[in-house]
Amino acid sequence: MKSLFLFDMTFWLYLAALVLYIGYLFARRPSMALAPAGHLPDSFDERDGVWATQLGQVATLVTIFGWMLNTGALFTRAFERMEHSGTFAPWSNQFEAMAYVSWAIILGYVLLEMRYKIKAIGAFVVGIGFIAMGAASLLPYRYQTAEPLVPALNSYWIYIHVSVTLTSYAAFATAGGLGVMYLFKERAERLGKTTGFYAAFPDLETIDELGYKAITVGFPMLAFGIILGAMWANYAWGGYWSWDPKETWSLIVWLIYGAYIHARMTRGWEGHKAAIYAVFGFLMVIFCFWGVNFLLSGLHAYA
Amino acid sequence: MNSQPDALPKEPSIRPSTPGLGWDEFSRELVEFFASVKLAIFLFLFIAITATIGTVIQQGERAEVYVQEYGESAYRWFLRLGFTDVYHTWWFTSLLGLLCVNSLTCFYKRFPSVWRSMKQDKVGVTMAFIKNMKQQAEIPLDNTKEAVAQQMVHHFVSKGYRVLAKNEPGEVTVYATKGVMGRVGAHMAHLSATVIIFGGLLGTYYGFQEFGVCLEGQTYHIPRGNFDLKVDKFWIDYHENGSVKSYNSTLTVVDGGQSVVTKTISVNDPLVYKGIWFYQSSYGDAWDQVEVARVNIKDKETDKVVKTVDLEWKKEQSLPDLKVKLSITDFVADFAFNSTEKKVYSKTIEHANPAVKLVINERDSVQATPWIFQQFPDLFNIKDSKYQFELVGYKPRKFTGLQIAKNPGINIVWTGCTMIVVGITLSSFIFHRRLWAKIVPGQTGVTVHFGGTTHKSQIDFQKEFRKLTEKIQTFKT
Repeated sequence: MKSLFLFDMTFWLYLAALVLYIGYLFARRPSMALAPAGHLPDSFDERDGVWATQLGQVATLVTIFGWMLNTGALFTRAFERMEHSGTFAPWSNQFEAMAYVSWAIILGYVLLEMRYKIKAIGAFVVGIGFIAMGAASLLPYRYQTAEPLVPALNSYWIYIHVSVTLTSYAAFATAGGLGVMYLFKERAERLGKTTGFYAAFPDLETIDELGYKAITVGFPMLAFGIILGAMWANYAWGGYWSWDPKETWSLIVWLIYGAYIHARMTRGWEGHKAAIYAVFGFLMVIFCFWGVNFLLSGLHAYA
Repeated sequence: MNSQPDALPKEPSIRPSTPGLGWDEFSRELVEFFASVKLAIFLFLFIAITATIGTVIQQGERAEVYVQEYGESAYRWFLRLGFTDVYHTWWFTSLLGLLCVNSLTCFYKRFPSVWRSMKQDKVGVTMAFIKNMKQQAEIPLDNTKEAVAQQMVHHFVSKGYRVLAKNEPGEVTVYATKGVMGRVGAHMAHLSATVIIFGGLLGTYYGFQEFGVCLEGQTYHIPRGNFDLKVDKFWIDYHENGSVKSYNSTLTVVDGGQSVVTKTISVNDPLVYKGIWFYQSSYGDAWDQVEVARVNIKDKETDKVVKTVDLEWKKEQSLPDLKVKLSITDFVADFAFNSTEKKVYSKTIEHANPAVKLVINERDSVQATPWIFQQFPDLFNIKDSKYQFELVGYKPRKFTGLQIAKNPGINIVWTGCTMIVVGITLSSFIFHRRLWAKIVPGQTGVTVHFGGTTHKSQIDFQKEFRKLTEKIQTFKT
């Protein structure tokens, strides 16, 4: 299958991008950021700065190229599906879903970088996109092919329900990555490591706010995804809610983020607490996405 | 929700000197408690935690299953706590009910102020109020206050703000606001919880869900809709590689003796008639009918198979060369005999011990109707017959399993769902911003005291505020 080759290439490009972003963090000299205009401190080496900038640019380009390949892979998979089964949704099994999540994470990251011009986040968010892709490629081959859909899945609902839900997972993954980044930075600050690697991170408040933003994107999307699932269930099984483990877990995840959003609004869950909570929430998403399929039985066991 | 961060400085409230336990006091405390975000967070997390129980412990199983897996004393606790059917226990339902009360009280307490801020605005604020805001700037300008105010109003309006200005002899105050829909959205989401749960209850009490096993060619009466349903056909489509593509049943609704609708349903495509939905839910092998059965005819003397015949259901087949006529009139998948009623029946729907009733007519002289068993071919011996009959295979008739459901609350549930999605989306992506500017004339020009506040999206607002400040700086002449 051609798509598998493209997915493979995407994996390597994301790895390259991740390495480049980490390299960027090391190369970036904090003194450059801190130096007042025109007064470069003695230790500042201009070539270092240029090098970091170039590294950052290459990292972004590799990420975008990887994302384009990812897109290409999904399209190719869609065509392959079209030949084998009536649908073309390239997110119809665990492998494709993972590849789609990583596509959405990277897209979200690229948009974030374009809008806020903070490349340091790449090491974490692209990292999670890469892990998603990597986890997909670790699945056994028989999970990676485009087998025809079972009748229950063969419906136009799969296009929208699955894609919306997975996009919300991607948003929560981004928030989780930012949470980890926050905790790293916070620890570095506490230990007084204001130079080097950690100093290249954006300030804590920005990381915190971006993480919150990612959750506010994921939260309504997950609600929409769950509701689309309920509508589908009503069409396919004759009941919109049956407390099947996957359904229940997606509701649990939604409630967890719902608690966070309320707490953040009025009870000041910011910074440290919020970062830990975002990581915890993401772990719950992972359980909902993977754990439920492998550990609990239910109607979604096929996915 | 969203009250603290941008709450306006409160006037010191006048409290009664004796904080007695009057009704007013009590009801205020009560509303305070039920509207509190604390309660909301507690409920969200508590429902989340308790909901996991039902995903770990299998729900609605037989007692033996639990006892075997968890032991007897654990099972007793399960029963006491309702863990075998968590989502329908009184305490889980109460949590959902409490969530409704919580969100409704919150709406009751907080929506009026949102409504007011949509209708009327607080233009006049003190200088200290502006200076206390997180985002604030002081901009000296070489211009008249009217000219600055005019440009400012023009610019705010062009950015989509709703602007009010108050011109007083000493100063001009400009107030601008945008995105109050974000807050309306939050309250819409609050109301939706109750709408969804109300719709769900309606469905539980006035709807039904049943499962029907239907055979091809049969007509079934649907008492809840007072019409008949005829199952014309059931079949399975396959993909090239042999996996199942779809399960299909052709159904005809017969209402008042007339065929009204005919539709082929499949797994994702139900039939709807008079609010009753028919879903393709399962299929299986019928336990009391076969399409065709294969019978070997053995010569008793030589013990050799002389003929193999495929007999169709209830159709007599004559074999002139053997001078035998055969037909199959009955079938059971799991043979059992009720000795009091003298009746053969199928113990289960499993094909555990299949048997057919064979009607034999040999040379018009020997007549017999034995049950012959696939698993025990030597059980019966027909005395006068030359032959031994053995059931070697059969093709059971398929039944189609239909889920039959009616849910009068469904549209209310969908309304609630729309409200929650629209509500959360509005409150996530639109944030309420308020700006105040006081333009105070000084000796050479004016000073603009500019401040702004939002209840979230601080960095975006910071950026916007900076841009607005830069723009104001250009209002020279």
